[in-house]
Amino acid sequence: MKKPIAGGSGGAAGIAAALPHVRALPPGRLTRWLENERLLAGFLLAPTVVILTVFIAYPFLMGIWLSLSSTSVGNPGKFVGLSNFVKAWNDSIFQVVFRNTFFYTFWATIFKLALGMWLALLLNRHFRGKRIVRASMLLPFIIPTVLSTFAWRWMFDPTFSVVNWVLYQTGFIVTKLPFLSDGAWAMWCAILINTWRGMPFFAITLLAGLQTISPDLHEAASLDGANAWHRLWRVTWPLLKPVTVVVVVFSIIQTFADFQLIYVLTGGGPANSTHLLSTYAYQLGVNSGLLGEGAAISLFMFPVLFAVVWIQLRYIRRLEGA
Amino acid sequence: MTTEKREDGASKSGQVDRRTFIKTTGVAAGVAGGIEGILAARRAPAFAQGTKLHWVRWNDFIPEADVELKTRQVPEASKALGAEVTLETINANDIQPRITAAIQSGSGADIFHLFYNWPQLYQNSLVDVSDIANAVVKDQGGFYDVYKPSFQVGGKWMGMPHSIVGNAVAYRRSWLKDVGATEYPKTWDEALKVFTLLKKKGRPYGQTLGHTFGDAPTFAYPLLWNFGGAETDASGKKVVINSKGTVESVKFMQAFWKEACDEGGLAWDDTNNNRAFHAGELSATLNGASIYIVAKRQKEKIKDEKGEPMYLDIDHAGLLPAGPAGQFPLYFSTGHGIMKYSKNQKLAKDFLAWLHKKENFEKWFQVNEGYSVAATTSWENHPMWSKIDKPLQVFRTAARKTRIFGHAGPSSGKATEAFSKYIVVDMYAKAVQGMKAEDAVKWAEGELKKVYEG
Amino acid sequence: MVIERRWKKWVFFYIPLTLFVIGTLFPFYWMAVTAFRPDEELYRSWRATNNTPFWTLKPTLAHFQDLLARTTFPRWLWNTFFIAVVSTGISLFCGLLAGYALARLNFPMAGTIGTSIFVTYLVPPTLLFIPLADIIRNFQLGNTPWALILTYPTFLIPFCTWLLMGYFKTIPKELEECARIDGATRFGAMIRIIFPIAVPGILSAGIFAFTLSWNEFIYALIFLSSPEKKTVPVGVVSELIRGDIYFWGQLMAGALLGSIPVAVVYSFFVEYYVTGLTGSVKG
Repeated sequence: MKKPIAGGSGGAAGIAAALPHVRALPPGRLTRWLENERLLAGFLLAPTVVILTVFIAYPFLMGIWLSLSSTSVGNPGKFVGLSNFVKAWNDSIFQVVFRNTFFYTFWATIFKLALGMWLALLLNRHFRGKRIVRASMLLPFIIPTVLSTFAWRWMFDPTFSVVNWVLYQTGFIVTKLPFLSDGAWAMWCAILINTWRGMPFFAITLLAGLQTISPDLHEAASLDGANAWHRLWRVTWPLLKPVTVVVVVFSIIQTFADFQLIYVLTGGGPANSTHLLSTYAYQLGVNSGLLGEGAAISLFMFPVLFAVVWIQLRYIRRLEGA
Repeated sequence: MTTEKREDGASKSGQVDRRTFIKTTGVAAGVAGGIEGILAARRAPAFAQGTKLHWVRWNDFIPEADVELKTRQVPEASKALGAEVTLETINANDIQPRITAAIQSGSGADIFHLFYNWPQLYQNSLVDVSDIANAVVKDQGGFYDVYKPSFQVGGKWMGMPHSIVGNAVAYRRSWLKDVGATEYPKTWDEALKVFTLLKKKGRPYGQTLGHTFGDAPTFAYPLLWNFGGAETDASGKKVVINSKGTVESVKFMQAFWKEACDEGGLAWDDTNNNRAFHAGELSATLNGASIYIVAKRQKEKIKDEKGEPMYLDIDHAGLLPAGPAGQFPLYFSTGHGIMKYSKNQKLAKDFLAWLHKKENFEKWFQVNEGYSVAATTSWENHPMWSKIDKPLQVFRTAARKTRIFGHAGPSSGKATEAFSKYIVVDMYAKAVQGMKAEDAVKWAEGELKKVYEG
Repeated sequence: MVIERRWKKWVFFYIPLTLFVIGTLFPFYWMAVTAFRPDEELYRSWRATNNTPFWTLKPTLAHFQDLLARTTFPRWLWNTFFIAVVSTGISLFCGLLAGYALARLNFPMAGTIGTSIFVTYLVPPTLLFIPLADIIRNFQLGNTPWALILTYPTFLIPFCTWLLMGYFKTIPKELEECARIDGATRFGAMIRIIFPIAVPGILSAGIFAFTLSWNEFIYALIFLSSPEKKTVPVGVVSELIRGDIYFWGQLMAGALLGSIPVAVVYSFFVEYYVTGLTGSVKG
């Protein structure tokens, strides 16, 4: 994250010549104060720290308290230690949900990475209409998830699916495909939609990464006899690793905690087969009124995400150190 | 901005602001309810510096019922009570999140629509409404049996019973006749035979086994009960689901699903079967009266394969077929609850009393044409029943035999937990997806034990 | 030789690219077709022979009219827009200051604070919404847009901070040092020199925050109750599903109309969006 990659960004250099000349003002007391780096830092960070403390840190601690209590809707609970966690861990529904979340995140991330990389490589060339294509590719990511998931749900509707219609008309199927009616199918449909939505994010950032790789490197490699595949693997990929890792980390955080997509698409799916940790936590908290247990389910996410992020960051540090 | 957002209605601003706000609310209520001919901008009368009452219900499956409430009854009640009543209707699935947020944050609507046995779940946050309930009983006859276990806590009425949405099996008369069934199958074995023949003709039975709060449980629980299964014994503390009756019901469902049902049903929510039925994909499905009523109201758009309006071919079977142990339905019983955090409890009580007055309730009851029936038994004798279409008359006695989940024990918060975790529904869903019947039942037993035996 | 190259180009470039474009944009086309398709054509089963899913010969505006008449959809658009703009503003303000501090200043615990800001990004909303409901009540913000305006920055600020931090790091330190040698204060230099240069980064962060806030669902679902206060995602989900009927025509009309504002805003700032993404990952 700290090494400037060859090429630089954003036109910051070159502006130096056109700088406005700043008049020297007699420093007032406040400005003198702010000369001090520490005070200035404190001052600048204050709004952020206040908002995040009040609206995340404090509720987070309350959430932890909730998970250690037997609170239900309208009934303040008593401290019960880790029993909510133990109960969840031994519950077969929870085990399915936990597995689902890993499965979903794993496959969606792999597909997003692969397809994103491919699209980035394609967009790295020059062709007519490139700007429009590039802009429109980001649409799935821009449009509110809830709305686009509805469109997909309509496309997969058991009775009115257009996909079924196409496959039926072209003779590929005779009976309709159980897109959302079968547990395994539903999970793969969810993964498909998540990939569709997230792939542009990967593509654009990887594209940016690609564009910073100097073409000289490629030329040198092909002069040495490397073909396109070799070049990709030996030259491009290593230089893209830092960018990739960052994008993957962000994506995993979002996908692991995904709520909207499943909530709108299947609500947890046929017999819990597409339930994720967030949707299950929500169901327990709201439909069953078991706030303590719901909080415990949500908290299971946190250490996993933390571990993922930690591993990735260490990997980046190692890459940069090398 | 801050003055007009307070739920308790204590406004500190001057007359002008209040009037503007009232006008806006009146317009909003009018626009929201104004469908099909009833135009917006009904200016609600301006009230004295009084209180406001916020009432939340679901989006009724029969839109006209909501129109009746919003454009006629609410303004009338406001006038009669000298306060400002507003009705907000939201998607049924969103009522629980709203209640949860309201209870936890101590502010929100004054009266909420409550389903099934939610008074058990929220009992500590509700107001005792026994006075209103007893008055209505005196006036209109006793409540149906289902309400005592579900809406009473410790002998006190924590929710005010309002209406029951009866569900029945909507079916295509001509199609059943084609395979030799002149009336709806009375037992599950008959049903299996009839619908197997129909499925072969591409006209299967349609049923959801998804996580829906309406169509799936109202099928699954009766199936369980009709074969003699139950969640717990009469004490409500011992889980008895792993019984011969249950296993038989699961095995039956596996066969029925494969041979007679539209297998897309696992992905359906409460709305898919309506659409599928109207598209001519299903021969029968369990639903409220909405399939018939909508087909009738849109008779130009919803036609059968001969080009005739479909509603002429739709009939209803009042109960699901009987199993070896009997015929017990699960109906969608509803009512209202007054929230303890509300600052207008007396007004809320007065409002509910007004709502249930014979002349007011009657109007709402008639608009429903049988889709929802009253919570008290005397309404079975109302003249409306003889005037509505024959297929709808079957709903008259719908509410009599209904059980509530948690059977055979009292319908406690644990029953709600089991219900909202869809344990019974999933037992069948797992079995039809390939799990062995005994294993599915064992799984359900394990889950129910965690809930009931804690 | 030339023919072989051209063939390769088609197989490895044009065809995949076309597939990507179709795959990415088809759902939007589908949204649009459904929104304009009359009801009679809409509910034709997948096996029906008269099914023409990809086009309709009788486009109608009925769904849009119904949407606007039956719900307070324009109001939702306004709400969503208002909330998005204000929370973006707050987040940009905080992110700008914090990003500068973390990127440029030396002070103890810089690393820790930076990391903790990032860590807050990991806390799942499904854990927070119940305790937050409490806090919202204490501030008496229930059912007002301010409930969201103050909670959205919790996930917008970390992102803006991180993005702007990366951006600031690419601005050479010499610029500030020159200014300070000329007599400007640290604070003055920051405001007069660095911030103007960072405007592209600010725009990128802003457009990103705008789209993220437009997309938020669970807090809006829980904290807003009255229909006229809802945001577009929540309104579409809760009001266009009446009882057991999904009004697909109106739903898709709502989805389309709900997406257009954010797509339009985005289209003006596409370049900034892209450079924001790219600048951030390099930082």
